[in-house]
Amino acid sequence: MNVAAPQPGFKARTDSALANPTLKVAIDRTTGTAERKRAAAVAAFPEFGAARARGKQIKDHVIAHLDHYLETFERNAIASGSKVHWASSADEATAIVVRICTDAGARRVTRAKSMLGEEIGLPHALAAAGIERVETDLAEHIIQLAGETPSHIIWPAMHRTREQVAELFKAGHHPPPAAEDPASMVQSARRELRAKFLGADVGISGANFLVADTGSICTVTNEGNAELTTTPPPVHIVTAGIEKLVPSTAHAFALLRLLVRSATGGELTQYTTFHCGPKRPDDADGPDEMHIVLVDNGRSRMLSDEFREMLRCIRCGACMNHCVVYRQIGGHAYGGVYPGPMGAVLTPVLAGLEKSRDLPFACTMNGRCAEVCPVGIPLPTLLRAWRGRSWRATLEPRATRYGISLWASVARRPRLYRLASGLGVRMLRLLGRGGWIASLPLAGAWTKHRDFPSPSGRTFMELYQADRNRTAVPGESRP
Amino acid sequence: MSPRDRILSAVRSGLGEPRKNPDSIAAEADALLAAPDEIRPRLVAPTLVEAFAIRATALGTTLDRIADFADLPAAVGRYLAAHGLAADVALQPASVLAGLDWQDVRPHASLAADEAVAVGLARWGIAEGGSLVIHSAPDTPILLAFLPLHHILVLSARNLLAHLEDYAAVAAETDAPRNAVLITGPSGTTDIEGSYVRGAHGPGFLHVILVEDDS
Repeated sequence: MNVAAPQPGFKARTDSALANPTLKVAIDRTTGTAERKRAAAVAAFPEFGAARARGKQIKDHVIAHLDHYLETFERNAIASGSKVHWASSADEATAIVVRICTDAGARRVTRAKSMLGEEIGLPHALAAAGIERVETDLAEHIIQLAGETPSHIIWPAMHRTREQVAELFKAGHHPPPAAEDPASMVQSARRELRAKFLGADVGISGANFLVADTGSICTVTNEGNAELTTTPPPVHIVTAGIEKLVPSTAHAFALLRLLVRSATGGELTQYTTFHCGPKRPDDADGPDEMHIVLVDNGRSRMLSDEFREMLRCIRCGACMNHCVVYRQIGGHAYGGVYPGPMGAVLTPVLAGLEKSRDLPFACTMNGRCAEVCPVGIPLPTLLRAWRGRSWRATLEPRATRYGISLWASVARRPRLYRLASGLGVRMLRLLGRGGWIASLPLAGAWTKHRDFPSPSGRTFMELYQADRNRTAVPGESRP
Repeated sequence: MSPRDRILSAVRSGLGEPRKNPDSIAAEADALLAAPDEIRPRLVAPTLVEAFAIRATALGTTLDRIADFADLPAAVGRYLAAHGLAADVALQPASVLAGLDWQDVRPHASLAADEAVAVGLARWGIAEGGSLVIHSAPDTPILLAFLPLHHILVLSARNLLAHLEDYAAVAAETDAPRNAVLITGPSGTTDIEGSYVRGAHGPGFLHVILVEDDS
């Protein structure tokens, strides 16, 4: 599998992310704006709650009848002139794309941002086949110049400040941008990419929706790069996950209202395009061939367990914009293609839990992600499910398993637990100075960065009993 | 087994339960579209024209209203003058446009990579979000809507629809075109630090000329 599986060393990656002086600034600038704009968009749409409930039902319906919708989509896509390909794995998918490119004699492809393309390792596969790849989404263009991978599913270059983008464009654009403000840099990218759109042999896109009853695929962009990628070249290739199906265009619209508000705080993206087959015989423009690669890559395995709920995900990125952990460490520290809460659920599916068991634990369980998810995915519950599997698969370090087993055996014996906790809080109080503990045995990782509050000296149960005694109604008999 | 059969069989075994027939699946899907007013925003004004105008201009689209098609060349001329643009425009090869007397405006059929201005027809407008719809066709190149810096779209008021679902319904009446594009404001990006910049790859300026009475 081409998925960039998290290497051992999640802690090392988070350490370096936290030590990066500009990363936090860059993340805050974009996630802060995204959070404010989403809140305003939801406030301006009183029907949001009902729309979300309906969106969840639509996705559940499609997933429950996924075989039916896959076959319907295939039939209608073929009828409109598209060629439909099926890929069980990432390797099968990239092999199909590379073969279509090679058959077309393609030397240069343009690509409109698709997270599925990242998931299957398409950039790497194209490079290995000696095909030049031009990323056309502005953020993907930035990270292509930087030689990086996306750090966010909506804003792949979120980790870069404008000053860093200016450096990349000065070195990579000919001529360089006129100034370092965002408008001048966008202008420069427009100039730089224009000829590449028109000179490509193949255009590759993803799909936000696969519309079963027409066999069309839907892309949404604000820049207009998807249409400029898919219209001029003679071949258009789409790679899409099998969970992207919707019954009809009207169902796609119901989900689009949720997707755009949750992603950017807009109502609709500037361009919402349904692509249905190749150029008609007399059409003024368009590709001669349209290929759609339907990719499973682990999705069918999710149908029979609790992770089936994750197949509702419409890739809006709201969960990561609102995640306290993502906003500290950024996307790259997660090590997979999908970061943040949805990534912490999906990466173990794609890369295996043994390679990514740290991710479900990098979560405070504050529940913000589930609160803002436009299709009601219970992300904390799914993360907890991975924690349970990790325990059952004995993937925890020995010391952790030992400690938790010890705690569990004490916690199941109330008298022993009260005795132990009573002793514990009194010991802790001895360590405290002015209400705070500066250094704690066995908890050095905590006290290295912040003090631990000193307990009051009594346990919860002791305080509870004392409170009951004090507030008891006079005259009432007590045991 | 082919990858197709492998995937379909994995999906069926993952889903487990016996499969429903297509008619009952279709009935379930239709039921999910019931009561659309509960899941969509209300129009921001009582008339379609007013609601469309408010939503479109809120996104940076500019709007001009004319009484009928004969006034179109003059309206295009006004826009060019207001923006200090040359009188040369790429014109969509549609007979209704070609048949007009363009006066001082000089239309051409070609489309350059860095075209300054293009004029085309919108098939429908959607009042809900201020969107315009184009369908690819022999007389409708898709690139006309993406290559120019200034995109002028002409919309007949009688082709205004209220909601996205209304467009889905009229679109379903004919065979799907290669591309159906909903255009909602000028091209933009927030990819550098989340700050909004217009004219990323597509047009930086979107101007709608609404023909109010062309019956």
